Amino acid sequence: MSRLTIERVVSGYADMEVLHGIDLCVPEGEIVTIIGPNGAGKSTLMKTIFGLLKPTAGRILFDEEDITGLSPDRVVRRGLAYVPQVENVFPSLTIQENLEMGAFILKGHLRDRLQHIYELFPVLGDRQKARAGKMSGGERQMVAMGRALMLDPRLLMLDEPSAALAPNLTATIFERIAAINEAGVTILIVEQNAKESLKLSDRGCVFAGGLKCFEDSGPALLANEEIGRLYLGG
Amino acid sequence: MDALSRIPQLLVYGIVSGSILSLGGIGVSLTYSILGFSNFAHGDTMALGAYLALALLPVMAQLGLPSGSLGPLSFGWDFVASLLLAAVGTSLAVILLDRLLFARLRDTHRITLMIATVGVALALRNLLQFVWGPQPHYYTTTIQRAILIPQLGIRIKPDQIFIVAAAVLLALLLHLFLRYTKMGKAMRATSDNTALARVTGINTERVILWTWVIGASLAAVAGVLVGLENKFITPELGWQMLLSIFAAVILGGIGNPYGAIVGGLVVGISEEVSTAFISTGYKPAVAFAILILMLLIRPTGLLGRRR
Amino acid sequence: MELFIGIVNYLVFFAITAGTYGVLSLGLNVQWGFTGLFNIGVAGFYAVGAYTAALVSGPPPDVWDGRVVGGFELSFVVGLLAAALVAGAVGFLIGLPTLRLRADYLAIATIGIAETIRLVLKNEAWLTNGVWGLQQIPSPLHEPIHQGAVGFVRARPDLAPWLQDLISKAYNWFYLALVVFVLVILYLAMRRLARSPWGRVLRAIREDEDVAAMSGKNVFAYKLQALVLGAMIMGIGGALYAHYARFISPNSFEPLYGTFIVWVMLILGGTGNNKGAILGAFTVWGIWAATDFITGYLPFTAPQAAALRIIVIGVLLEVIVLARPQGLLPEVRRRRHLRRPKKTGEADSPPP
Repeated sequence: MSRLTIERVVSGYADMEVLHGIDLCVPEGEIVTIIGPNGAGKSTLMKTIFGLLKPTAGRILFDEEDITGLSPDRVVRRGLAYVPQVENVFPSLTIQENLEMGAFILKGHLRDRLQHIYELFPVLGDRQKARAGKMSGGERQMVAMGRALMLDPRLLMLDEPSAALAPNLTATIFERIAAINEAGVTILIVEQNAKESLKLSDRGCVFAGGLKCFEDSGPALLANEEIGRLYLGG
Repeated sequence: MDALSRIPQLLVYGIVSGSILSLGGIGVSLTYSILGFSNFAHGDTMALGAYLALALLPVMAQLGLPSGSLGPLSFGWDFVASLLLAAVGTSLAVILLDRLLFARLRDTHRITLMIATVGVALALRNLLQFVWGPQPHYYTTTIQRAILIPQLGIRIKPDQIFIVAAAVLLALLLHLFLRYTKMGKAMRATSDNTALARVTGINTERVILWTWVIGASLAAVAGVLVGLENKFITPELGWQMLLSIFAAVILGGIGNPYGAIVGGLVVGISEEVSTAFISTGYKPAVAFAILILMLLIRPTGLLGRRR
Repeated sequence: MELFIGIVNYLVFFAITAGTYGVLSLGLNVQWGFTGLFNIGVAGFYAVGAYTAALVSGPPPDVWDGRVVGGFELSFVVGLLAAALVAGAVGFLIGLPTLRLRADYLAIATIGIAETIRLVLKNEAWLTNGVWGLQQIPSPLHEPIHQGAVGFVRARPDLAPWLQDLISKAYNWFYLALVVFVLVILYLAMRRLARSPWGRVLRAIREDEDVAAMSGKNVFAYKLQALVLGAMIMGIGGALYAHYARFISPNSFEPLYGTFIVWVMLILGGTGNNKGAILGAFTVWGIWAATDFITGYLPFTAPQAAALRIIVIGVLLEVIVLARPQGLLPEVRRRRHLRRPKKTGEADSPPP
């Protein structure tokens, strides 16, 4: 079954169309990675799915239901979660408060959910009262992912989760992503330097110039010489 | 009397007026940090609160609330009830304004919103003038005896103690709200990063509603307290304080409600103490001088973070 | 016929005031319309211009005057230039600490400077005669024109009364011509500037400061120039007002008349459009006069009527902002050369 289906979506900013009719399918339970150069429309697609940008044409289906143009808080209620690439934590809030905000739409106690996140990212459990603004890049990425997981989303969208992270941290983050996926969460990743990401992806798509130009299984994309030369840095 | 010996007394006045400025400044700061624009109608919102309390006062007395003075204070329970209801009324008025005007401009440039607030300021002030006239109105004509504290060389009225206590209590409540309630945390989150708040699922429209309610309630209380301290209210009351309030907010770091509290006290005390050294006619310019000084040396304010 | 002449005389008076406001509106258009500078202290620059002109061109202190200096009885033109220079200097001083910061700071600082200027006018009686204001400010060429017209009418008693009335008001016609002359000169100059490379940089700054800075422009210097130029024009507006009113006091420069009405004029006319700035001045001043006329028929006290008129202006502003933010005459937008790039860190910048 398809968790997320993008049908011929056209979107962009007021004075500039970025996506010129994208099709994409994210099957349930899989990890899909979108790769492509700067300006290919990867982040625009994420923002459009999440209702931050309104598409001018096309449809977005989540579990077969049309979510095109829904406001972000509605999208969250449907079971999608999104971790932007930058500025993805609330710097003046503590780690625990950041996580609590992830479950804003829920009523009642969050203890079990917080516990679950702290098990996934033990570093966060040790520093619950620390302000997110004071944390390192890797820790922030964990706070952001933890926040997104507070509602047990069915689809987690990650925008360049490894950008600007040291290699050892990148490995940790991807190992966590694999664990989250094991637990049943479908994952859509956007990456520029996507070798790590493709290694654990079921599928990979290549974007260029606002269009999808290539799609294959993750390992096959990794093995493809031309893709490697053009998009994966040789 | 030489200037220095007057300073303790001026400090008292400064703390009293600074408390009121702080309450006014909190609203400006919250609106700025959550909605992203400077609300130049905030002073006139204070005046609205002051006049609503004035209108409610006889109603409360008629409902049977005792109007006899509370201990040494110059007012009774009817006044306290009017104060609280004025806060409610002002909040409703501001929410209505948001629905009619500001919400429709939410996605436009922030300067457009500031222009709109200037228009609101003008219309609101003159609405008060239309209904109540330009002449001063009084909550009470009771003459109050000041408490003399000779050791410190100061005299202070019980009403002034009430003003400071009310401001401290409200600031404390605000702190608890921001720190420990879900909505308070959501307000801080939205202030940090509105776009992220939206993708997190925070209902930012509800956050905005709360921002208006808190800002308007504190403004209304501040307006009534101005009337209590000055002994009269006029439609100009809020506009006259706007510059001081903004100086306080910028001094403390615009967007930071705690900064507004600190800034309010500093500006209030500076304005009063300045009268020991320069002509009273220039008291309003002291706030302006503080503002310019702050912009020159540290535009992010005392407690501000870089934005 | 008398009624007609009465209306004509009123219209001349109306046009002088509206034309003076047109000058202020043109000045604000340089700041806000071209450059996006949020100056809500127009009244301050206006007041500085008026007082400078009055002090440069007016008579020395009278015996009952609180002043000890000023009143140099220099010519109108010198006063006008001095008004522009001093108002421009105030603009320069206020721009220095604020123009590098967000628009909010300039806005609040300009409110502050306008209020502070009013305080100085009230308190520094040695220079300004305090709340009593400056009197007997000469109107340029008033003596020869007025005396000439009156003499002409006296010498011809056979003229129809309406014609006598019209001729004896000749000075107002002269002053209107003067205001229109200044307005036209300023309009032509601003139109030229708007189309010049300098004007294009200002608009680029208004659209996106960062882009303008990235293309190597000294944004601060340009903003300061625009603020000063606008302030100078406002100063000229103040001088025109002082010489016609012949009496000015701190109360002439309250925020309503000095600032808000000018804003409504520019926004209604068309932000960024010089013709719109002038059209807005005449339209809003017409609405203002009409509300005076209408409220006269309503059962309100004088303060109520005054308040009601201001409410109308406030509501008018909101209606324009909501329904027609571009104004009656929208700015003529040429193709944009500069495009906003994405903020750093955002992955979707357009391919180079």
